[in-house]
Amino acid sequence: MPPTEAPEPSGPAQAVIETAVVETAVIETAVIETSGLTKRYPPNVTALDGLTVRVAPGVTGLVGANGAGKSTLIKILLGLIPPTSGQAQVLGHDCQSSGEKIRTLLGYMPEHDCLPPDVTATEFVTHLGRMSGLPSTVAKERAAESLRHVGLHEERYRLIGTYSTGMKQRVKLAQALVGDPRLLLLDEPTNGLDPAGRTAMLELIARIGAEFGISIVVASHLLGEIERICDHLVAIEAGRLLRADTITSFTQVSQVLAVEVEEGMVQLQQELQARGLVATAQRDHRVLLVPLGGDDTYDVVRDAVADLALPLCRLEQRRHQVEELFRDDESSEHV
Amino acid sequence: MSETTTAAGVIHDLGYRRYEGPRLGRAQIVRALTWHSFRSCFGIGRGVKAKIVPILAIVAMCLPAFVNAFAVARGNARLFGYDVYVPSLRVAVVIIFLAAQAPELVSRDLRNHVLPLYFSRPLRRDDYPLAKYLALTAALLLLIEVPLLILYVGTIASVKGGSAVWGQTRALIPGLGVGLMWAVLMAAIGLVLASLTGRRAYSTGIVAISCVLTFFLSLLLIQAEGGQTATDTGARVAGLFSPFTILDGVRVWLGGNPTTGLVANPGHFGPLYGLAAVILLAASLGGLAARYRKVSRS
Repeated sequence: MPPTEAPEPSGPAQAVIETAVVETAVIETAVIETSGLTKRYPPNVTALDGLTVRVAPGVTGLVGANGAGKSTLIKILLGLIPPTSGQAQVLGHDCQSSGEKIRTLLGYMPEHDCLPPDVTATEFVTHLGRMSGLPSTVAKERAAESLRHVGLHEERYRLIGTYSTGMKQRVKLAQALVGDPRLLLLDEPTNGLDPAGRTAMLELIARIGAEFGISIVVASHLLGEIERICDHLVAIEAGRLLRADTITSFTQVSQVLAVEVEEGMVQLQQELQARGLVATAQRDHRVLLVPLGGDDTYDVVRDAVADLALPLCRLEQRRHQVEELFRDDESSEHV
Repeated sequence: MSETTTAAGVIHDLGYRRYEGPRLGRAQIVRALTWHSFRSCFGIGRGVKAKIVPILAIVAMCLPAFVNAFAVARGNARLFGYDVYVPSLRVAVVIIFLAAQAPELVSRDLRNHVLPLYFSRPLRRDDYPLAKYLALTAALLLLIEVPLLILYVGTIASVKGGSAVWGQTRALIPGLGVGLMWAVLMAAIGLVLASLTGRRAYSTGIVAISCVLTFFLSLLLIQAEGGQTATDTGARVAGLFSPFTILDGVRVWLGGNPTTGLVANPGHFGPLYGLAAVILLAASLGGLAARYRKVSRS
């Protein structure tokens, strides 16, 4: 008896090793890879213009102003529209030939409202789970789990029409999650939320990326927001890649110090200039923006204000919105 | 599950669970969507309000069958033919059912912008309208054929002898065929009209008005040309202006009784009715597919 049972314990061990190998392979593959991706709409609108970018696993921010080509890129990645030229791959599958396969591996959260008001969240997410290819009972289980993961508990039995905007955004996230995707495409997930709601949504996304082992691409026009949760950033403008880099290299160019004094704005600006800082007044001339080099920038500003004996009422670290980042990038030729 | 929980040392949060089990293929997803849509045609899985029209439609449609089946049991004759049933009632109920339920199937998703959620899933762009079409066809088939079956069962329960039962069955089969023809064509027309707009009230209005107006136009023309018994060309082609009269013309062309239905005997214009039905069906399905191709790209 013992000799025949001997191979048994090695079974699970073998399986564990195999799983590990598979996971390593997944990590090494880029989740999204495009080369020379171009999309033109007749007569002469170019939505994407030779976009070449590689998105690594993890949480990636896709930033660009409205009309930069984010939505077009997402539609091509989902295999819904063909590119005019160029290639796009998602999780190793070609977007044009394997759209169906890709869509089983993807979860997509659209930017706009997409929820019917007259069904409960449970029913809706269950139905979409089935549409993702889950068998009936599994769809029910996973719908309940997804809704719990996004923080909807007893409320999930209520009609969606009775939900707040924040809860609706959570349902949208839950429906993206229900099919157990390997990659989530989230289009402006904090749209329409109040600051507390935004923070909660961002924390939720960060948790999904870190704990659930799902790669996430978050499209947004608010750099200051998504840089809090992203490992990488991809910035596009007018359909072209502006930068693709880790979050740290991005924040260096994007961080500014906002200085507000009750009076003597011009004096302070000149004083800071003399101390080697380029302070720019904001449009309404109430706040000075100073590029944040490092901790010593705070000291320089503090000393300048103290020396001029000005009444300082605000000194805070700020992020550029993405449009400003683009302006900075172009001037300093980062492209 | 329990292993993960103990390993992570978390008691209340089960953590995220991957799904490694089997996934449905595209065909099975279409089937699931068809079943879901079929149920919503009758308001199943929806609120009480959604069930009112379908239930009333079924009751109205089945009532004459019950009454007649009961009368047959008391020794009277079967009044309604299996092929035409009660023509005006059938037209009215089908219009009401279509105007209420076709928007239920397509306008809600358009209105609430739910379609991106479908198109970001394994379904292909033609699968969604296909599932909706199959569902509405099945629902109409149920609405049209169930009264015929009630009538049939009620009648054969009363007739004596195998040949009488066989006679009833032989009369029923073409009737079921006509019902299928109605369901196939009217579902396509109803859906393409309903999918024109996401505003449900408009959508209902478009379906109802187009069906009612064309139907009355054809009826008026038939009357103006001398009624159902007329044999001149005008009367023979007057039925080509509405889907219901086209369907009835095809029925007569294929050998149905020319005096019990809606139209004058099309005579040698019969093939024209057949062609009109095919063109109408092709145009409706083509329009439906084109509509959803446009939606999936936008």
